[in-house]
Amino acid sequence: MRAAKVPILDASTYSNHGQPALQREPSAPSDRGGAKRRWFVRGLMLPGQILSLIVLITPLAVAFYMSFTDWAPTRGSLAAASFVGIENYQELLIYDTRFVEAVVRTLLLAIVCLSIEFTLGLGLAVLFLRKFRGKSLAFSVILTPMMVLPVVVGYTFWMLFQSNGPVNQIIELIAGPGSAPEWFRSTPFALAIVVITEVWHWTPLFFLILLSGLNAVPENPVRAAVILGASPRQVFWRVVLPMLKPVIVVAFVIRSMEIIKLFDEVFMLTRGGPGTSTETISLYIYKLAFNDFQLAYGAAAAFLVLLGTLTLVHILLAPVRDQLLEARR
Amino acid sequence: MPVRPLSWFLLLVLLGAIVITLFPTFWIVMTAIKPPTDWNAAPAIWIPSKPTLVNFRTLFDPEAIREYGVGGVSQAATMSVLGSIFASTTATALSVIIGLLSAIGISRYSSGGRATPLLILSGRMFPPAAIAVPFVIIFSNIALIDTYSGLIAIYVAATLPFSTWMLKSFVDEIPREIEEAAMVDGKSRLMAHLTVTLPLIRGGLFATTLFIFILNWSEFLFALVLSYTNIETIPVRLAKYVTATAGTLYGVQAALAVLAMVPLVIAGFLIQNHLARGMTFGAVKR
Repeated sequence: MRAAKVPILDASTYSNHGQPALQREPSAPSDRGGAKRRWFVRGLMLPGQILSLIVLITPLAVAFYMSFTDWAPTRGSLAAASFVGIENYQELLIYDTRFVEAVVRTLLLAIVCLSIEFTLGLGLAVLFLRKFRGKSLAFSVILTPMMVLPVVVGYTFWMLFQSNGPVNQIIELIAGPGSAPEWFRSTPFALAIVVITEVWHWTPLFFLILLSGLNAVPENPVRAAVILGASPRQVFWRVVLPMLKPVIVVAFVIRSMEIIKLFDEVFMLTRGGPGTSTETISLYIYKLAFNDFQLAYGAAAAFLVLLGTLTLVHILLAPVRDQLLEARR
Repeated sequence: MPVRPLSWFLLLVLLGAIVITLFPTFWIVMTAIKPPTDWNAAPAIWIPSKPTLVNFRTLFDPEAIREYGVGGVSQAATMSVLGSIFASTTATALSVIIGLLSAIGISRYSSGGRATPLLILSGRMFPPAAIAVPFVIIFSNIALIDTYSGLIAIYVAATLPFSTWMLKSFVDEIPREIEEAAMVDGKSRLMAHLTVTLPLIRGGLFATTLFIFILNWSEFLFALVLSYTNIETIPVRLAKYVTATAGTLYGVQAALAVLAMVPLVIAGFLIQNHLARGMTFGAVKR
């Protein structure tokens, strides 16, 4: 609870030679409990705020300024860099096909991965509504991929899809010798690996969130629907699923935010190859900044991505914002 | 919905899912115990006939692999293991302490208002590859580049939204009347929060700590761009094995991957009921 904003008329208000002082926040000295309390709250928040200011806001501000310059590390200090206005942004959006391609590719990857993850996760979660022996063990096992480091996941799948790796062994066993593809040499197959890796890694998150949601669905509407003669299928699609909407949105928002930043796995799997055919936005920005040293240009790209992500999250959250804020209180 | 048992078909689906879930981990563990001759054999060897721990020993003693006639690994992984342990635990402790203070502020005093959640989320939306650029510039200027202090500062800031919101959701569940009663009994605000609320959210505090540890331990990009020679973490070492000598050190890499995975899988199991809460910033409770 914030301290109530009641104007307090006491000595301090008139200390200014009898003239009423300007309307103040209620921080008058006589309001001792309130002032003490405010300082206490400020003290609680301060460490986090200072840290965010130094470690998040300052670099963001520097990057934002940088994105309007032509600065490169070889050209001396950032302060001396010349201001080029929105040139970087223009270049990115109009002429840089590699950037546009990376954006489109990342979005397509996001759509494909998230649809598969959602479908599989929902299927598994519904399965876990049934009763069977060893359920809690199965639950723990299904969750394990989430706990593996992204770098390790990338490395593991890189191993699995080697031309003489186990996946190709299984394919040749089923489809005959010579049928296995060179996964990392062709664009569609390399993209498929990225999708498979992401789906393996993050389906458990959808499963977990959706199962939490399913378990929290109130009994009564479901029972009412059953009494009214709804089939189990109707109950699921018409009663249960609509009630899961906020949870589904949360899952999608969290996952879209992460997959738009997709870097670690792809770095370990393909480094964006063959060519630039699996390059994600993050990988492209990384290469711009740390291979080509086009730091200012990379910063501009990052801000475009931030803007896009913010818009996307805003749109995704719109239908359930009020519900979520209610839940937060 | 009435609870029904699994049909045979669904049981098969479930078993399939479990096999697919476990297979990559199985493969990496098997690779980690393969002798060099089996690492990259064609056709691939699923279960080594002569399992060995030489890959693990090589991580800490690069000469160990020589007994198999393979040249020594240029660099031991010892530094990266110690570096990961140091950076992750320190950053986790700081993140949880600072997060706890903010969580109390937000939960008990509504500090921050309605805009804070979105503001914090937007911090998580910025591609780290890009935020790393100004870090490199700023850190180079204040001699924090290639130091653990710099890396830890970033880790704390990056995980603070998670620790704050996760802890807030736990504090929210404790009725504030209990604290108020303690304050009436003469305890100061701070002591009321620390001696009354804190013991009640012990479980939540533990879960948050492990969750933040998982995040810090997994981090790759910042460690990659902010480390040159003085510092190293396991993910960076793992990536360097790939670049330096691709295709020749499968087993050693796999051993490091297994080593990196073990603490996280244990931590994950311990807090599996709180994972949803952590991942969703407290929006999904369980």
